[in-house]
Formats: sequence, structure tokens, C-alpha cells
Amino acid sequence: MITLRSSDGETFDIDEVVAVEMQTIKHMMEDGCAESVIPVLNVTGKILAKVIDFCKKHVESAKAEELKAWDANFIKVNQATLYDLIMAANYLDCKSLLDLTCQTVADMIKGKSPEEIRGIFNIKNDFTPEEEEEIRRANQWAFE
Amino acid sequence: MAYSFPEEVLEHVFSFIHTDKDRNAISVVCKSWYEVERWSRRRVFVGNCYAVSPGIVIRRFPELRSVALKGKPHFADFNLVPEGWGGNVFPWIATMTRAYPMLEELRLKRMVVTDESLELISRSFKNFKVLVLFSCEGFSTDGLAAIAANCRNLRELDLRESEVDDLSGHWLTHFPDSCTSLVSLNISCLGSEVSFSALERLVGRCPNLRTLRLNRAVPLERLPNLLHRAPQLVELGTGAYTAEPRPEVFSSLEGAFANCKELKSLSGFWDVVPDYLPSIYSICSGITSLNLSYATIQSPDLVKLVTQCPNLQRLWVLDYIEDSGLEALAAHCKDLQELRVFPSEPYGAEPNVALTEQGLVSVSEGCPKLHSVLYFCRQMTNAALVSIAKNRPNMTRFRLCILEPETPDYQTMEPLDVGFGAIVEHCKELRRLSLSGLLTDRMFDYIGTHAKKLEMLSVAFAGDSDLGLHHVLSGCESLRKLEIRDCPWGDKALLANAAKLETMRSLWMSSCSVSYGACKLLGQKMPRLNVEVIDERGPPDSRPESCLVEKLYIYRSVAGPRLDMPSFVRTMDEDSELRLS
Repeated sequence: MITLRSSDGETFDIDEVVAVEMQTIKHMMEDGCAESVIPVLNVTGKILAKVIDFCKKHVESAKAEELKAWDANFIKVNQATLYDLIMAANYLDCKSLLDLTCQTVADMIKGKSPEEIRGIFNIKNDFTPEEEEEIRRANQWAFE
Repeated sequence: MAYSFPEEVLEHVFSFIHTDKDRNAISVVCKSWYEVERWSRRRVFVGNCYAVSPGIVIRRFPELRSVALKGKPHFADFNLVPEGWGGNVFPWIATMTRAYPMLEELRLKRMVVTDESLELISRSFKNFKVLVLFSCEGFSTDGLAAIAANCRNLRELDLRESEVDDLSGHWLTHFPDSCTSLVSLNISCLGSEVSFSALERLVGRCPNLRTLRLNRAVPLERLPNLLHRAPQLVELGTGAYTAEPRPEVFSSLEGAFANCKELKSLSGFWDVVPDYLPSIYSICSGITSLNLSYATIQSPDLVKLVTQCPNLQRLWVLDYIEDSGLEALAAHCKDLQELRVFPSEPYGAEPNVALTEQGLVSVSEGCPKLHSVLYFCRQMTNAALVSIAKNRPNMTRFRLCILEPETPDYQTMEPLDVGFGAIVEHCKELRRLSLSGLLTDRMFDYIGTHAKKLEMLSVAFAGDSDLGLHHVLSGCESLRKLEIRDCPWGDKALLANAAKLETMRSLWMSSCSVSYGACKLLGQKMPRLNVEVIDERGPPDSRPESCLVEKLYIYRSVAGPRLDMPSFVRTMDEDSELRLS
């Protein structure tokens, strides 16, 4: 059993086989940190719980179709949580969770205009109008 | 709350985004997204090779793996673009050898490709996998030999409809024994015999081969051996489908086909002998695509074949099928989506087959999924077109080619305005339209009013005045490509809609009424357009400004005027006055 501690002090006991789904944890175990509690500094308890759920499910279940349906349900979260899950998956280096979360964000982007995308992610447009015009022109005239 | 993703996460998100439109959208969101996007883009499609330069492409996208380029305008297919016009791929290859050593795929359409280019490709890109040369020219089998010999990981070699200087079939032997990676091989455009034993060995050692399009010179007797070596084939183009009627040849063929349980697409069938057609019956129920455009057999034999294919989605066929054959098609092939009927004798004065507007009406009635049509015929009525429009509001591509220009409705002798008008009015998803027959300006008013999703329009011998062109340019919001020949359209409409031309990929006008003076004016007014006058009569400024130009090709470009023009192509830009003198 491995014990993880979230940034806000919550602890989680998990099987080794689940822990190694997260490459970052796996490396720390290999470096000999498994004896004591492993601190997961950048991830809150709320999110870490979800990540662990995900890893457990992916270790237990082998059937692709069942996993796909479970994943689809798992990822039905609000945008803030989705963002936190991506950052956690990236930090913990959990490939299948990173794929799922990034695919979900990609699906939010597909078919949208730049303005809509900026709106969804609250991104500031830091192009000057001339710069933006030049890129749009190249995009439409050359690359479409 | 602002969502700021680290670069590697952004890159990972972008790895799930593939279409050109989406990639272009994300590139404009903000500066950091632009940077991550341009470094992570792996494929580009350049719809007009002169709209941009190789230098611009490599500077913006440093890590491309797949490039698609289109060169000559579509009317080059009808020999309207003079030899030597351009579209040479060499400058692109030369630039990409430095910038993209890891290039994997090159897809070219209507470009001039020399042996030198092919040799350079074969030596420069270590991981080269896919070469598609669609309607290209300028190369010989020597260039193909270099590709075969040097591209160790070649997966696709597709020469569809290209014009190849066919020196010998020996080039195929240049595939080394170690080549086992082929997935697709299309040599159907080649004339000479390839080495059959080399072909058999090649096919036999490529377990992932799914597409094999042979050329005419591969005799029927050789087909069973090839099929036995590739029972996993999904797409097959036969060679000549003819031989003396011999039972052992037939049963050998039949057995070989029966073994190919994955076959979905068939083509080839040059010189086909009807007695041999039943050899493919066992796999017909799985066939979704059938190209019989070289099969010079009569309607009863065509019907026997086509009615064996209930899952047919695409059919290309000669007009030998006749109205009766199309009726049978409509009755049996309910999944049909695309139909192309080609003329067997396009230059004959009299009809040689019983193919009329009725055939197309039958198919439009019987096939609910039909959305793409190319139909050559000799007669049409407004009533038939209205029927077709009402039957098939889901039509997306409609190209009707009535062989004789300016042919009216043969029953009423009226223009076909009302008929084609019904097409654009009812078919709200129409993206491509080719018109023919007698058409007045009224037709183009209908188009401008209704064809809001139309992207490509081809017009020949139609319209009365500039008003026609004006309707199209001012009304068709989604228009990307417009090609016009032999219409009385000219200066007024062109100049009045100059700004529209920057929203389109290109405009082609030949044998119309555009004056040299108007071209100069347009070039000066719209510096970002390349206004190219194609005139083989000599320098246009040796004639009065009111003189009409032969051909005109206008396209938007971020690369400025092109630098490789032959003497008969002149660009009308601000400096043209100085340069031409």
C-alpha cells in the first residue's frame, strides 16, 4: 500500500498497482520514497480523489467498451474541475487521464471560432488588429 | 477565471485537433496559442500553390510531415491551360528538403513534376511514406524507379490520371526485396507492361496491401495469381478484362475473387468481355464502389452486373447503361450516393445510345441518398430538372453536361433557367454546380438569390450580359471557385465586384468579354490579387486597351505576383506598366 497526501492535507491509501498508473508517483517509489507518505504538492484532495478513482477503474477493468462509457461519465465535470484534472494528470504524468481530459478540451474547441474559443477559456486576445488580420488572411488564403 | 495551460498541455490538446479550419481557428486565439499551434501543425493543404510561397510555409510551420498542393486551374482538364503555364513542384521540393527532412507525405494535384523532383524526394526524405500524383505530368518511369528504389518505408504510390512518359515497365523491379510496407499502389494510368513476376513478388510480400489498381497491360490470365497473393485487398483495379473464352481461366478467376472477402471497390475492366463478368459475382454483395468508365459493354450486361450489387454507393459508368439500365439501378441500389455517367461518343453528331434526361430522373426518384451527380447527355427539359430538384433536395454536387452548347429544353425550346433554378432553390446544401444548355441572365439571378452554400460554379456558353456575372459575384456568399468559358461577361461586373474576388480562391475566365484595360485597372485596384492575363497572341500592350483578353486567371495570394511566369502569362499589378515596357 502507498499513501499519498494532497496539498490540503488529505491522505489516500492506494494499492501499488494503482499508484504506478501515475508515472510521477512511480518514479518517486523507485527513488525509495514509498516508505513514508508521498506528498502530492500541486493537487488538492478533491481532485486527487478523482484521479485515484480513475486509476483504480483503469487498473480493474479491461473491457474497452466498458471503460469508454465510464470515462465519458467520469469526465462530465464543470470547467474548473476539468482544468484541475488536466493539471493534475500532467503533473502526475498519468497518460490515459491526460488523453481523456485533453480530448475533452479539444472537443470543446472543435468547430468554434477564435472569438468563441477565447470566450470559453477566458483568454485575452493579445494580437493587434493588424497582426490578427494578417494571420487570418494567411490562414484563409493559403492554408484552407 | 482564466485558463492558462502549460505549453506541453496545450500541445497535447492540439494533438486531437486536425481539420484545417480548426487548426486555423486556434492559431488566432492569442500569441501563445499561435506559437504552440504552428510548431505542432503536421499537415497543410494548399489549395492554390501560388497563393503562398514555399518560404512562407516553412517559416510558419517548421515541423510539417504532410503537404498537399494544387497547381493548375480545373479547366486544365479540358486543355484550356496552355503548356508551360506553371505549377512546377520543384521549388517546393527544393525548399522542403532543407526544412522538412522528416517529411512523410506529399499529395499533388495538377502539378508539373519532373524526374529531378522525384529523384530529390526519394533521396531527401528518409521517412517518406505517401506519394499521390493526381492528374500530374512531367515525369517518366525513371523518376518512379528512383522512388521505388530509395523510399524504404513507402506505403502509398498513387499515380491516378497522371500523364507519365512511360519508357518501360522495368521501374517496378526497383522495389527492393526488403520493401514490405506498401498499402496502396495505383499504376492504372501507365501504358507499358510492368514486369509481372516483380509485381507478383511485390504484392506477395506486402501483407498490408489494401489498394491495388493495375494498368491495362496486365492481362486477365495474370489476375488470379495476384489476387491469391493479396486476399486482403479492399480496392482492386483490374487490367484488361478480356481473354478467349476458356472455362479454366473463368473458374480460376472466379475462385480467386471468391477468396477476396474484403473487396469493396472495383475498377479497371478495359476491353471487358461480358462472358467474364460473372467471375466477380460472388463478391458483388460487398461492393460499394464500382468504376466501369472503361467498360465498353452494353446495357443488358451492365444491368446484370449492377443489380448484383445491392450495397453500391458509388457508380461511374459509360452512357451505354442507357435509361433502362439506370431504371434498374434505381430499383436495386438503394444506397447509391454518387453517380457519374460518361459519354461513349462525345464528338458524334447523333446520339448513339438511348440515354436521356429520364435516366437521371429515375435515379433521383429511386435513390434517396443520391447527392453527387455528374451526367453527360444530349437532351434535357426543365420539367426533368424540376423533378430531380424536388426528389433530391439533399443534392450537394450537381454537374450536368449537355454535350451541345446552348441546347434548350427540347420539348418547349425554352432556356433551362427554370430547371436549374429549381436545383438551386430546392437543394439548399448544394456546394458544387456545373451548368450547361441554353441559359439566360435569369438563371444567374436564381443562383445569386438561392445558392448560398455554393462553393464552386462552372459555366460555359451561357448568359446574355454582365448582369449574369454580377448576380453570381454579388449573391453567392460561399463562392470559392468560379470558372467561366465562352460567356458574354466582362468589365463592368468584374470591376463592380472586385472586392468579392479577395473572398474567393480563384476566378477563371476564357473567351469572355474582358478587356485588357479592365484587367490592368483591376490589378492596380486590388494589389493583393494576382490578375494574370494568358494570351498567346503576344504582348497585350501591343494591342489597344479595349482589346479582349483570351484568358484570365485571378487569384488571391499572400506571396505577391509569381516569378515563374512563361512569356504568355502577364500579371497586372501596379508595376506591370513599368515591367512590360
